[in-house]
Parts: sequence; C-alpha cells; structure tokens
Amino acid sequence: MNNSSTSISSSDGVVGETEAGEERRLFGIDAAPGIAIGPAYLYAKVSFDVQRRVLTAEELQNEPSRFEEAVRRSERDLNKIIDVTRDKLGEDSAVIFEAQLLMLRDDALYSSVLTYITEHEVNAGYAVHKVMSKHRKVMEASDTEYLRERATDLQDIQDRIVRHLRRGQILSAIDPETIVVAESLTAADMILFSRKGILGCATDFGGPTSHVSIMARALGLPAVVSMHSVTEKVETGDMLILDGISGELIVNPVDETIKRYRTRKERYARLLQEEKQLVPLAAETIDGHRVGLEANLELREEIPLLKEYGAEGIGLFRTEILLLMEGRLAISEDEQFTIYKKVVENTAPGPTTFRVLDLGGDKLLPMAHREHNPFLGWRGIRVLLDKPDILVPQLRAILRASLFGPTRILLPMITSLSEIESFGEIFEGVKNKLKTEGTAFDSSIPIGAMVEVPSVALMADQFAEVVDFFSIGTNDLTQYTLAVDRGNDLVAKLYEDLHPAILQMIKRTVEAAERADIPVSLCGELATNLRAVPVLIGLGVQTLSASPVYLPAIKRVIRAMTLAEGKELADQALTSGSAVEIRQMLDQWLDEHAIGVSFFLNRDESST
Amino acid sequence: MIEKEITVANRAGLHTRPASMIVRKASEFEAEFFIHKDGYEINGKSIIGVMTLAAEQGATLMLVFEGPDESEAADAMTELFESGFGEVK
Repeated sequence: MNNSSTSISSSDGVVGETEAGEERRLFGIDAAPGIAIGPAYLYAKVSFDVQRRVLTAEELQNEPSRFEEAVRRSERDLNKIIDVTRDKLGEDSAVIFEAQLLMLRDDALYSSVLTYITEHEVNAGYAVHKVMSKHRKVMEASDTEYLRERATDLQDIQDRIVRHLRRGQILSAIDPETIVVAESLTAADMILFSRKGILGCATDFGGPTSHVSIMARALGLPAVVSMHSVTEKVETGDMLILDGISGELIVNPVDETIKRYRTRKERYARLLQEEKQLVPLAAETIDGHRVGLEANLELREEIPLLKEYGAEGIGLFRTEILLLMEGRLAISEDEQFTIYKKVVENTAPGPTTFRVLDLGGDKLLPMAHREHNPFLGWRGIRVLLDKPDILVPQLRAILRASLFGPTRILLPMITSLSEIESFGEIFEGVKNKLKTEGTAFDSSIPIGAMVEVPSVALMADQFAEVVDFFSIGTNDLTQYTLAVDRGNDLVAKLYEDLHPAILQMIKRTVEAAERADIPVSLCGELATNLRAVPVLIGLGVQTLSASPVYLPAIKRVIRAMTLAEGKELADQALTSGSAVEIRQMLDQWLDEHAIGVSFFLNRDESST
Repeated sequence: MIEKEITVANRAGLHTRPASMIVRKASEFEAEFFIHKDGYEINGKSIIGVMTLAAEQGATLMLVFEGPDESEAADAMTELFESGFGEVK
C-alpha cells in the first residue's frame, strides 16, 4: 500500500482535514482491461430545465437558424451513434436512435418549435421544452405503464437539442485524453465519447455484462464499473489512474504512483503483443494435456472476437440483452432464429452454447415484479417454467438453428431434479410439434445444467444422470455458498472465489461428470482469475469459458504448467483451511512458473 | 379515401419501435395517412404523433388513407399491423 505523506504537510497547518489532493484508491469491477492515466471528466446527467427568455427583434431573427443548427448537430450525433451501434451492438439496439432521428424533422417538433418561437418571441430552448412537454403529457396519461415510460424517448430528444443549443456544454466540453466518470453510461454515450478520444471510463453502476462494459471491450477502452459512489468522490480535473485489469481507480496519485503505472501500462502493451502470438497455439499443458478454451458472448456482433482471441467455440451465449429490448421482451421466434442461426453458422465447427433467458436476480424483470430478496426469488429456470410463452419460442428458435452447426442448450439457476423433469416435458412437446410441422432440427441436441447453486454440486451424481453436460457458474455459486452479496460493500470482502468450499463444490461436480462421462466446463469469472487456472485444470475442469479478451492470458498459464502440477496444487488447496492461504500458494506458483502473468492478478502489486 | 379499422396485436403496443416502422412505411406512399383513436386524430407520418397515441395491445384504431396510391398504402399498413411488427403477440 502506498501511504503517501504529502497530504500532511499542508502549509496552512490544518491537521486531520482531508486535503483535496490526497491519493485515494477506489474499487469496482474490472469491466474492460487496460490502463489509463489522465484527468477526470465528471459526466453528470444535468437536468436541462430551460429558462424562458423574451428575445429582442434582432435575436428573434437569428433564433430559427440557431435551432436549425442544433437540429443538424443532433442529426450528426445520431447518425454516428446509429452507425457504430449497428456495427457493435446490432440493428435492434440502433432502432431507438433511428426513431429519434425521425423525430427531429417531425412537424410535431420541428415546425411546431419554429411557430412557437415566432408567435411567442422566445428562445428556441424554451420553445422545444414547451412543445415537447405537451407531447409528453399525452403519453404520460396512458393507462399502460410501458407506454408511459416511453415518454423518456421524447425527453431524450429534447435534451439532445437543448444541449446543442447551448453549444454542447456536455460533449464539446469533454477534452480528449480524459477519463470519463459517470453514474452510468449508455452504449450511445460510449460511442460519442470514444470518438472524442477519451482514455477510459469509471461508473457507479453497471456489471461486466452491461452495455457499457461490452462496448468498452469492443472499443478497447479500459473500464471499471459498479464503483457505487465514484461520482461523489471525483471532480472534473482530478488526476486519475484507471486500472481496468485490477478494477481500481486511483484519485490524485502522487508522482511515484504515476511513474509506477506508466511502467505497468507499458508492460501491459508488451504483454498484449506477446499474447497475439499465443492465439494460433493450442491450449495445452507442458505434458500435453489439452484444455478447451471457449468464449462468453452476448451479441452476434462479437463473433469476430472468437477468431481474434483464439476461442474454440461459445461456452456461454447469454440471451438477456438480445431478448430484452428497452427492458421488455419484444422479439419473435423468427427474429431469434435469424440471429441464432448466424451465431451458430459463424461459430461452427466449434459449438455454440445458448443459455436460455436468465431473468431475475440483478436483471430487470419485465413484469414489474418486485421482490424483497431477488437472488433467492423468481429467477432463471423458475421464471421460464412459469412462462412457457417465453421459453417455447426461444427453444423453437434454438432448435431450428441447431441444423446449422453444433448447438447446445444450457439451463440457468437449476436447483432440483424436478426442474430438469419439468423442462424435459416442455422440451419434448416443442420437439414433437416441430416434427409434426415438418421442421428439421438436431434431435440429439445436448441439454446442460448450470452448476451455480450448492444443491446441484452436492447432488452432482444424480444430476449427471439426467443432463448431457455441466457448466459451472462460479459467480453465483460463490455468492450462494458463502452467503455473500458481492455488491454490498459491507460484506464484499467476504466474497472469496477461491474459498476451499467453492473448490470442493467444483471437485464434486467434476468427479460426478467423469463418472457419468459427460463434459464439464466452467464459465464464471473464476476462469479469469489467472491464479485459479492451474487448480481448475488440476481439478479436472475440461473447458474454460470467458470473455474473449481474457483467453490469451489463460492460455499462457495453461502452457506454463503440467497437469501433475495442477493436480498437486489442487490437492493442497482442497486441504487448506482458508482462501488467503490458497491465494498465497497460487501466487507463489505463478511467480515462479508463469512469468508475466502475475501482472494480471488483483493484488496490491501494481509496483511489479 | 379508404378507411380501415384495425386492432393493435403486439403485446408491447405502439411504442417507439413500431411507431418508427409505421412512419417509415407510410412515408413510402404519396397518400396522406391519418390514425383515429378515441376521437383523437394524428398524422400517421409523424412519429411523435404515433407515439402520443399511446395505443396499447387490443386498442382499436381507424386508419384513413387519401391519395393516388391509397389502396397500396392501406394494404401495406394492414400487413404491417397484422404482422405485430415482428414482436411477441
């Protein structure tokens, strides 16, 4: 830890008061790797209340062209956003911006504002506000909650125009070479910021699979999310170091820290170069044991990343982002089929593992269903078995796509054998219906269970009899086994992904899979905790699946170990009494065997 | 002039995405296009107009077309509504 003493020597003699310039470390979730050093830009979602101003005759003459200019700039923004969104997130995500583009020249906005300006002799901003709030009021009066919420689309377009009328206090104020700090960022924000040349971003909210994180990885910008209150702790102009590898943000670093991180940044760049050379090589231990490396994805636009980072297939295709447009289920079987087919075709000969919709928990429930304890509530397979109108079209679409390459179906949040049975009944029905319709599909498509609740790991032998493969989800498995909510600052320290109890769960699962001769993979974040890799291989996990950018580093560890070493480390870890002990032992092994890899570990060794 | 009564079939109603599809389709035709709902009339070529209809699933709308290609426009729009805008019905 760097306990810099610079803050004590303040000249005015005030002791004990935190000086603005003190070095502080803030922590979050590492959402996109990389290191950025630069000043902060606090992107606050300013509320654009617009003041009414009566114009002079001369101003009034200019006002329409000022409005036209703002509309034109908004069009330019939106066209950029649409292009990049389509490219990185897909057509479905771009629709909302295409609609905003249509609104700009809509008579109900454009002509009405011009008329309002002339008739009332007021500023354009106020005219936009008056015209749009009239429309909003109509929508807000709707009986349907969802349609009421869509009034925000009208607010967005109003804000966009008003922002430009103020000569873009927001966007053009963002200097290139800054680190954007915000409560949350949309995909559109990320696109515009990256065009401005920002260095990275840190946000209060968001998780590794939210849009901002996917976007940051796709654009190669470091990002740390879920920092809770970073917007209250950082001000525009503060010097920052953003570490998207360890998930840290250092505010007001002292010179020595900056120097250290400059070195770390250079090392990271070199490592990336080295990793590129690993891509064509096999994920194989020194003694010739092959390990499968697959990717976790959520969008078909990410498919090129498979080749770029050397993934052999998709170990986990999450379907939440795809199915939940604007926070609501609005995609038909045919639309799903078109997308799944593309994914399967482009991933073949490697397999594509579709996890059926995993709603609930931290994800948005479309049915406005509030729960006291959502992680122990209605989520995953529990929702799907209650809602065949969601499950059946998704299964049909996946089955139809299975003709185009190896396809697998993964069931989330399984806790009991009876759920597999209930699912099986629905699944048989779906297959029979497709047969009678004369629709072809792969009738031997494997069905797997997520192992993310202790009950499944404990009963792994029984589960192995009724499913075709296991996929271990370590994030939920850790939180359910240790009874820790990682998002809760008060207990986050207790979240130990290398806890001996977790390793026991993994061991049980792997052994049961071996006895039943079914494949077992691991798709949780534990796979990206590089110190865990030798143990996981030693425990017998056959395939690791992770966000593609992390795969080369995982491969580097695999290629530096022998299976025998992995088994030995696993044995030692399993008999250990604490996660701290396990961690120390594994770090030591990595330091001795896999040079360069320790760089990626989240430990206080940013100086190395 | 052609008048046609139609029911909103998709579950989410005429939110932003379907509204944008309607306006784009309508703009392909020369014919004027109006939508009546509960005594309220809007221009079907205005996205803000269609959005402010706030038409939920099951709402009954009267579509009115007037112009040289009104029958083609009416057919195309009926098809679009009946498809449920490619969404879950």
